[in-house]
Amino acid sequence: MIWVIHTLNGVSLGMLLFLLAAGLSLIYGLMKILNLTHGSYYLLGAYIGSTVIQTTGSWALALVVAPLIVAALGAVMERFFLRRFHLDELPQTLLTFGFLFIIGDVCLWIWGGDPILLPKPALFAKSIDLGGLSYPEYRLALIAAGLAVAAALWWFQERTRIGAMLRAGVDDAETARAMGIDVSLLFTLVFAVGAFLAALGGVLGGPIIGASPGADFDVMLLAFVVVIVGGLGSLRGALVGGLLIGLLDNFGKIFFPEFALFTIFVPMAVILSFRPTGLFGRA
Amino acid sequence: MAISTTLRRTLRAGLAAMVCAGLPLAGAGAQTKTPIKIGFIVPTTGGFAPSGEECVTGAKMYLESIHYEVAGRKIELIVEDSQGKPDVGLTKAQKLVERDGAQMIMGIVSSAVALAINDYARDKKVPFIITCDAGANELTMPGPLANPYLVRTSQNGRTPSAAAADFMVKKGWKNIAVLASDYAGGFDTIGGFADALCRLGGKVTQEQYPPLNTTDFGPYATNLDRKADAVAMFLPGGGGLRFIKQFVELGLKDKLPVMDIYAQSVYEPFLPQLGDSAIGIYSTLHYASPIKSPMNDAFVKAYFARVKHQPSDNAPDGWVGAKAFGDAAAAVGGNVENAPKFIEALKAVKFDSPKGPIALDKYGQVIQSMYVRQTEKAGDGYVNSVVATYPNIDQFWPLTFEQYESYKYRYAELKGSLTDCAKVLEKK
Amino acid sequence: MARALAISAIVAVFLAAPFAAPSYYVGLLTKMLIYALFAMSLDLMIGYAGLASLGHAAFFGLGGYTMALLLMRAHASAWIAFPAGLVAATLGGAVFALLALRARGSYFLMITLALAQVVWGIAFGWRTLTGGDDGLPGIKRPVFLISFADQTPFYYLVATLVGLSALAMWAVTRSPYGLALRGIRDSETRMRAMGFNVWRHQFAAMAISAFFAGLAGCLFVYNNRFVSPDALHVVTSAEGLIMVIAGGAGTLFGPALGAGVIIFLEDFISSHTQRWLLVLGVIYVATTLFAPRGIVGLWTDFSTRKRKP
Repeated sequence: MIWVIHTLNGVSLGMLLFLLAAGLSLIYGLMKILNLTHGSYYLLGAYIGSTVIQTTGSWALALVVAPLIVAALGAVMERFFLRRFHLDELPQTLLTFGFLFIIGDVCLWIWGGDPILLPKPALFAKSIDLGGLSYPEYRLALIAAGLAVAAALWWFQERTRIGAMLRAGVDDAETARAMGIDVSLLFTLVFAVGAFLAALGGVLGGPIIGASPGADFDVMLLAFVVVIVGGLGSLRGALVGGLLIGLLDNFGKIFFPEFALFTIFVPMAVILSFRPTGLFGRA
Repeated sequence: MAISTTLRRTLRAGLAAMVCAGLPLAGAGAQTKTPIKIGFIVPTTGGFAPSGEECVTGAKMYLESIHYEVAGRKIELIVEDSQGKPDVGLTKAQKLVERDGAQMIMGIVSSAVALAINDYARDKKVPFIITCDAGANELTMPGPLANPYLVRTSQNGRTPSAAAADFMVKKGWKNIAVLASDYAGGFDTIGGFADALCRLGGKVTQEQYPPLNTTDFGPYATNLDRKADAVAMFLPGGGGLRFIKQFVELGLKDKLPVMDIYAQSVYEPFLPQLGDSAIGIYSTLHYASPIKSPMNDAFVKAYFARVKHQPSDNAPDGWVGAKAFGDAAAAVGGNVENAPKFIEALKAVKFDSPKGPIALDKYGQVIQSMYVRQTEKAGDGYVNSVVATYPNIDQFWPLTFEQYESYKYRYAELKGSLTDCAKVLEKK
Repeated sequence: MARALAISAIVAVFLAAPFAAPSYYVGLLTKMLIYALFAMSLDLMIGYAGLASLGHAAFFGLGGYTMALLLMRAHASAWIAFPAGLVAATLGGAVFALLALRARGSYFLMITLALAQVVWGIAFGWRTLTGGDDGLPGIKRPVFLISFADQTPFYYLVATLVGLSALAMWAVTRSPYGLALRGIRDSETRMRAMGFNVWRHQFAAMAISAFFAGLAGCLFVYNNRFVSPDALHVVTSAEGLIMVIAGGAGTLFGPALGAGVIIFLEDFISSHTQRWLLVLGVIYVATTLFAPRGIVGLWTDFSTRKRKP
């Protein structure tokens, strides 16, 4: 039974990683931006979520408000800053690095430096019995939430008009523009959705990972690893990559505890040595 | 919330400015003498920023009480951010000593930063008062790290562990599963625990070392040895908070008592977040906010008025470091430039503090009381109440330096073999 | 003529610095020079070979750690330990190249990061050898015929080595090899069609770059007289990347300037406000907006505009 629990731990971490990585992958797919502020969106989401829960007592409200605020910030960043440096990697790196510092320090200023964990929603606060061992419902809910987001993103990409525009934009932004697609609006929208997803990950991951100074950087690295392993720009890659890294990290720490520092980066280096564009990435 | 915090900080800064502005009046007779400058290096950004800030606040509380003046000399406190990085800490020490003319270095928090500054302080003969954390055992023991210009008024790593083991064995818990963060401080602390436990006839049944920035403690909590009598842990920097949550969710809290060495999980600012999960957890620390003494009552009240939460150990440590400096500076008539005399005076200080009585041993390490605390509900909050006290114990307690030296392995070398008592206790 | 004057002026300033500046600033200047070398070595990869890396700290740390371990654990003389550090860093660059050069763009960025994190993990985790996170304290500065223990002689040692390295790197970028490298950066397919062995050129670029990063690492360790895993951390790599971009990639001089400015700003701002990260972040954003080609780019834009009628 303990192995069922270990597996559930790995899968729930994997789903969380997928949530953190999906937005990054989406943004890269369309705009080729490796966004260093992605972890900052996570951190802001978690902090704003905690404040909303503290002041209103409503978890559901936090789940909506925090991602929306962060999405608006993402839209502003794209519209007024990143837009000027389209497809220009080096200035994008410096710019997003600057925002990483700014958001991190503003968070430290507002919320202080003590690590926080978000409370769990009352609906999933208990533990259930799994063959004599108790297991937190919240982790099961997290798996369900990850699957729901994956389904919603799939629907968005494959079945909606914007999704079709997005796919056209990913394949070839110039042609998409020529076909009359408002690429400019699409960019802002997708950037906002990416930020939204990271902040959603912040609220959902808040009870497990929490928020603290430096979590922005740690989460950013994790999200990078997942999208690189899965293949940049591929949502399927983010899902598979998330699950793979989640399970490898979890079982790596159980079977090879002395190599706990390497459970994430060694698999990544190995995978990239054999598949230089990740599992589902295109060259 | 955001606005109120900002406002509070602004007000605090304003108050500090007013206090400073009032100083020339208070020290009218001191104008002919140059000020004593204290270089205070702590992390004010990054994961350990709260410890740094608490440390500074504690030191300021004492310095304000003496109106930033000792033996007719004004005191200037210059705070610098080490970011918790050794090379930044060293650069800041150089800046403070060589450019600002600081006569001593205080503060610290991170052991790695302390080690980086230690060589510099020794070469430059600059008094180095480790005021907060930085518990690397060997900094205050004879050996390659020994520095005649160093004193430490915070706490080393092994003594809280020795007290924890003693307490647990007395409770009848002899088979203990341990967790410690995978870094130097973790090995120092948990090695000290295993050593004390083995000597008392107990045994470590399982050792786990989560990396410092572990995000998900699920695997470690799930993997915990459920047949052990109890769990002992040292997971600083938010790790303890995350671990306890997972531990409770897996239904382990009813089965396994927890000893939180150095109180990194039931750290006072975390108590509101842990809520009922924290109730019943034991911890060892050289301080507890509910200590009953007029001095501590006043301290806790004043600290709470400033920052609206209970102090952990860093605030009283900052206070004690500043008081040790103040007393020693007074003893040498303000002549802190004579470093050997000043250090001698530092090692001779004896006073009462919010933590209890304070003295230093000949190596410069503080001798103070160790408290075993248990988290309880109190009103609508939670406190760590004292359930046992080990009064005035030194860095080698319950051993002597010679006994400590007779072991073959250093604590850090024992990582991975703590379950083997024969090896832990092997003599040279 | 103007350039010769400018260079002599810069050399004169660096020569005179220890006489004019208080000791703390000599120390800070030493640190700036070391980071300038680190940033220039990274610029060889980013600006000339078109290989943006987030693992450059690995070479910096490999050099520093190899030297420190030989000095402290094997009690080797500086004559052996110092060159050994350079060799180790260069070999590290070659190994990274073997594993990473199949990947491009962001994938290259991330595989170098992953490899560097593995090196960091070894330094952090192999306590018995490396001292773990406590690092290796107590390293003595070298005696090469004369003692470089004091800050002023050490500063001159650093200034000389950094100056010579800068010259050497400049020569590399001006050589036919350097021109071919730039050709590869601009269009790999074209260069391949012209018969250039792209892989071999990039492999050599990484090894040369790692050599100079290793030199910076050895000097860094001597300057601090200790080494800790922070020297290998991804934050150090990221700092290097930012120095290159802020100064102006592909100019060598730009990244050196960027390194100096950033080290100075970090030191200066953090002494004046607790909110120094915020200020630094705003400066990075402003730099991107007003000087997207870096500080040097701004200067070239300005001077070309002035020359136009």
